[in-house]
Amino acid sequence: MPEAEAIRLAQQGSAPAFERLYRLHNRRVYSLCLRMVSNTAEAEDLTQEAFLQLFRKIATFRGESAFSTWLHRLAVNVVLMRLRKKSGTEASLDEMTEPDEESGGPRRDFGGPDLRLSGSIDRVNLQRAVEQLPPGYKSVFVLHDVQGYEHNEIAKIMECSIGNSKSQLHKARMRLRELLHEVLRSKARDDRKAASADAGGED
Amino acid sequence: MAVNNCKDFVTHLEAWTEGERHPDAQVHLRDCAGCRSLAEDMDAIRTEALSWGAQESEPHPRVWTSLRTRLEQEGLIRFPEAEVAIPAARPSTENWLSSFFARIPRPALAGAYLSILIALGFALSGPVSKQTNEARWLEGTQIATSPLSAKLNSFEQNPIASDRDLNPAVTASLQQNLAIVDNYISLCEKSVQEEPQSEVARDYLYEAYQQKAELLAQIGERGENIQ
Repeated sequence: MPEAEAIRLAQQGSAPAFERLYRLHNRRVYSLCLRMVSNTAEAEDLTQEAFLQLFRKIATFRGESAFSTWLHRLAVNVVLMRLRKKSGTEASLDEMTEPDEESGGPRRDFGGPDLRLSGSIDRVNLQRAVEQLPPGYKSVFVLHDVQGYEHNEIAKIMECSIGNSKSQLHKARMRLRELLHEVLRSKARDDRKAASADAGGED
Repeated sequence: MAVNNCKDFVTHLEAWTEGERHPDAQVHLRDCAGCRSLAEDMDAIRTEALSWGAQESEPHPRVWTSLRTRLEQEGLIRFPEAEVAIPAARPSTENWLSSFFARIPRPALAGAYLSILIALGFALSGPVSKQTNEARWLEGTQIATSPLSAKLNSFEQNPIASDRDLNPAVTASLQQNLAIVDNYISLCEKSVQEEPQSEVARDYLYEAYQQKAELLAQIGERGENIQ
């Protein structure tokens, strides 16, 4: 059953049409939720909630925008609502990462080892860093860099301007870079401690 | 755009990360270690993110089962005729549900399922402590759920003759709903058996029984209305 036909039948309350739409989009919506909350039970709950909202409103869908964009807008809103409810323990939405004030260029870490992310980051480190991003940054980063959406699509999903989407993505990446550098610095410190402990043991 | 200094490069960074290699930017990177490091880091993040995005996972089947039950409870699903057709292979049982629920008083049904829910709630919450091992927990769950299974089985195996039948289409639809909820319960029970200590799995099982209780109460109400 093609998507358009499934939408039409779902608007009339057809169970197979609802299931067809769910099967067409569940992986993408669930993956988005999972990447945003990093918890399978919560991601399942959010997936169900997103589809429930979709099916409640499906009679109002007129096809002005792509169905998947509409669904993802609902899913992102559901996730953001959840994240904002928990925001007491999370970083503020207004948290910014500004470039170096004097030069306008990238910030430099003085006095530390010359760390490079290339070849040093893995999935686990990246996921942990993404978890620490403020909700707004996280949404744009996951939608653009992980899920592969373009800025014009993200602007529709997030109901913001394309410029805003680009700006949020830039700040998200810069913040991620800082977080990943912190991980590497911490690892380097641990390695040095372990090495000095080994050297002390040999004496 | 011209890239003459670090500020220009930061402005150009997104285009660079997307693969746009402006000659001015390349010249700047040769001379600026800070921006070179930034560009390399951005490439590393982008590459790892793309690789993460290539892997999509599917939600557990219980998500659809639970979602479908919610859609039915909210009346969003209205079965088309094709789905309401009564299976020809089950003529002798097609009316058992309507006959039975037309006879059973609604308070009795509600009471039965309320007691089951209380027993389940007790089994699925408090007594599960860290000291309780999995076998004891499973035994407790079985003790709590066996009266429910026995009661349901006796309902299903003793059809009561009645001269007040429900609409066969409605009966078929209700039977289908019950089958869906039963399937959901089976999935949840399987999850609990696989992960006896998982609170999420227990919550889903509890919710599944709750949905069945609500569905049966609705069926009871229909039977009462027909009377």
